[in-house]
Amino acid sequence: MSSITAPSPTVDPTGPLVPVARSRRRTELIMLAFAVALTAFAFANVGFSLKGTLPSGIVEYMAPFVVMVVIAHLAMRRFAPFADPLLLPLAALLNGLGVVMTYRLAAQGNLLTAPLSSSATEIQVVYTALGIGCFVAVLALIREPRVLQRYTYTLGAIGILLLALPALLPASISEVAGAKIQIRLGTFTIQPEEFAKLALAISFAGYLVAKRDVLALAGRRVLGIDLPRARDLGPILVAWAASLLLLVFESDVGTSAVFMGLFVAMLYIATSRTSWLLLGFVMFVAGAFAASKLFAHVGERFDIWLHPFVGQNPSNNAYQLVQGLYGMASGGLLGKGLGGGQPYITPLVQSDLVISAFGEELGLAGLMAILLIYGLIVQRGLRTAMLVKDPFSKLLAGGLSFMLALQVFVIVGGVTRLIPLTGITTPFLSQGGSSLVASWMLIAFLARLSDTARRPPPRPIQDEGLTQVVTL
Amino acid sequence: MNRALRRISIAVLVMFLLLLINVNYLQGFEPASLASKPGNSRAFYAAQNQYERGSIVTSDGVTIAASKLSTNPDDSIKYQRSYPLGPEYAPVTGYDTLYSQTGIELAENSLLSGNDSALDVRKVIDLITGKTTKGATVEVTINSKAQAAAYNALAALGKPGGVVALNPKTGAILAMASYPSYNPALLAVHDGSQLIKNDNQLLADKTQPLLNRALEGTYPPGSTFKIVTSSALLTQNPSTTINTNVDSPTQLTLPQTSHVLTNDLGETCGNGSGQAPLITAFAQSCDTTFGKIGMNLGASTLNAMAEKFGMNNPNLTIPLPVAQSNYVIPASLALTAFSAIGQFSDTVTPLQEAMFAAAIANNGTLMKPYLVQQVTASDLSTVQVTPQSVLSQPVSPSVANSVGQMMRAVVQDSNGTSFAFNAQNEGGLVIAGKTGTAETGTVTGLDDAAFTAFAPYGANPDIAVGVIIQGGGYGASAAAPIAVQVIQAYLKTLRNQ
Repeated sequence: MSSITAPSPTVDPTGPLVPVARSRRRTELIMLAFAVALTAFAFANVGFSLKGTLPSGIVEYMAPFVVMVVIAHLAMRRFAPFADPLLLPLAALLNGLGVVMTYRLAAQGNLLTAPLSSSATEIQVVYTALGIGCFVAVLALIREPRVLQRYTYTLGAIGILLLALPALLPASISEVAGAKIQIRLGTFTIQPEEFAKLALAISFAGYLVAKRDVLALAGRRVLGIDLPRARDLGPILVAWAASLLLLVFESDVGTSAVFMGLFVAMLYIATSRTSWLLLGFVMFVAGAFAASKLFAHVGERFDIWLHPFVGQNPSNNAYQLVQGLYGMASGGLLGKGLGGGQPYITPLVQSDLVISAFGEELGLAGLMAILLIYGLIVQRGLRTAMLVKDPFSKLLAGGLSFMLALQVFVIVGGVTRLIPLTGITTPFLSQGGSSLVASWMLIAFLARLSDTARRPPPRPIQDEGLTQVVTL
Repeated sequence: MNRALRRISIAVLVMFLLLLINVNYLQGFEPASLASKPGNSRAFYAAQNQYERGSIVTSDGVTIAASKLSTNPDDSIKYQRSYPLGPEYAPVTGYDTLYSQTGIELAENSLLSGNDSALDVRKVIDLITGKTTKGATVEVTINSKAQAAAYNALAALGKPGGVVALNPKTGAILAMASYPSYNPALLAVHDGSQLIKNDNQLLADKTQPLLNRALEGTYPPGSTFKIVTSSALLTQNPSTTINTNVDSPTQLTLPQTSHVLTNDLGETCGNGSGQAPLITAFAQSCDTTFGKIGMNLGASTLNAMAEKFGMNNPNLTIPLPVAQSNYVIPASLALTAFSAIGQFSDTVTPLQEAMFAAAIANNGTLMKPYLVQQVTASDLSTVQVTPQSVLSQPVSPSVANSVGQMMRAVVQDSNGTSFAFNAQNEGGLVIAGKTGTAETGTVTGLDDAAFTAFAPYGANPDIAVGVIIQGGGYGASAAAPIAVQVIQAYLKTLRNQ
């Protein structure tokens, strides 16, 4: 992921000394075909494993999926021809696997917890269409990432509002599994935080670009660390307070951590000042520790993490975590095969613990592959951040990539008991619309940024004598 | 900013490395220890539903539990268990839910599910020949005609009770019915919420349909215990015969109490002289006679004989666990008199009732009751056969012969308590039995009715039956007709063979 070598330009010794940027759309198409084929294989695998035949809905589900990714590919050709060729195939593969797992869990219902409705797969395919629609819309509407900088404060306000909305609404329409994180309209639910994260990432980038000089330079040195001035602490304090409010009023530890991590990382990228990292980390840990002592529901998560097998925990509070672990353990190295395990024993396996279902059925091998797919997306994003020239785009690309990495770390780390389990969605894989749509929008932003980064400069006018265009 | 981005990249790399290491540890090294952690049921469920579960069939070939491919395309589990005869066989089959089993479904679970190591070789053969591995078929000793007669008679009476019929020569259980019963299919549903709903309904049912009264219900034996008392007397005093006159007062004042023991409805015993032949006292079921005999023998003698007949045994399995039938040694002589007529704290299962008659019918040798005839693999090869074994020898053949004669008198002599079922009324069939009507243990107001019998009387009885009806009233009127119906149904199948 730290590899930052620029694409080796094919230099034609006889031609102009300009790197010939290749659009790489054909590579993308081949990779997409691979992703679609993998998804189709996974589908067939589920069907053969559960019923001994091809799954009944394979054409109904695969055909729209293929059409959608082709539309996404055409949109890339049209609106972002120089974008990184791996982003779309990787996202499509994860999305495809998510649909397959939803189908698999709906086909073999939960035994004791509420069963996944039989229309869950159709709904997930519709959400995929919605997500790819938003992906295309972002590419089509935002041709130049710096345009977003204009909406720094608007997006900031929207982001805060979206985050706060569930806390302000009555529990009857916002509470799910003890956390107030959604808005329920009839049978349709939205998790506004998924979109808030995107809005806030853009807003942070705009704000930090404007203020980074003062945040980077002013301050004094204490014990070898450059500490910022007290009056410059405003923004980080606001972010910290907001994340703590999220923790307390919405019981949403995971999002709170992702939110705080995003801000601190972007602050660090903007200023290169390690003290911000330390400060942010210390503030979050202190806040979380205090919250764990003050609020039972936060403290409970620590207890579940540390002592999942002790006393009543395995059958009580830690039931979900423990069953997820048992599932992954039963999967072992190579897994039970799609449709061969019993992921449905784990409560809510289709959302928060979907990674345990993959671990159970695809085994360690499959789980590592999925983690590497996420790692590749993050790496492509960070590489874009390195390549892109203007600071706003750099910050945004770095922030979005880090946010994706952090989200994967928080949920996969939680499910595998590396860190306390907090309920956040697994990008692209979890069942549910908001997360999927927001993830596709994130990929669209990364694609837009990488298109900007890799777009060849305007052709130099050869008559200008010795003046050459030099890439920075 | 690129320097900071590089560092962030390294942080991200570390985060992903941590995840990968942790996942490797979890799935590479931990599975064995996690597999044995509390509440980890994955391995169990996987094994439970891996193969098509074997059937349970009766000895005459009636399928009473079977699995077939689920017709519901959305079913999470491939095979659906069905119980064609439902409540009639529930005490035998038990149920097989997604989570637990009872009855034969539990006792033979590993063979039925196909996971028993005894099936390993056949699994390898199946693998080579490409056949689908199936669970083994369990053949129970039940005779479908006897079972139907037992259950239908209980259901017709409509009172809670249990019936067990044994082959006295082998110990094979020919019928085992309990009423009220339940349909095990209710608990074989795959819909988890429906399963819980059905289970809760059955558990909350005040008639206790899930209780297998034939094996788990214990009731006072009443006068059927006089078989034990007589056996003890005839064994203890070899000079005594069934025609020996014994004290048979109309009233018996119990020692150290003012309590006066009388016979049922204050009847006189025998000719009213205060002395009656033992066989007459037995046929009339005189409480005063056997109360006196019990006091003379002493509680420990009665206890020893009761234990030889199979009582006070907490470890009997057929292979279903059987509740212990209790003989409690009374603290006083007066209570010993009560215990000798089955009216103290003694409690027996319907199976124990059948065992009383079976031991007498089999010349005093009690065969160990068993329910599983044999287990056959899907290729029809025999996996295991239950061997016949002797449980105990309560009495000598001559004592058994004497007690048998007295039991014959109960049904065949005009003064016997069960004369209604004499040979003339039963188409020439000579039944020997003993009625019991226990005044203790009344729950519903009426007495508990018990009857134990064997037939045909003679050198080679084919069937022994025990019946207990809770709140049935007189043993002769509530329990005996059911036993006779089972006997008739079973003997008819033997004649037709």
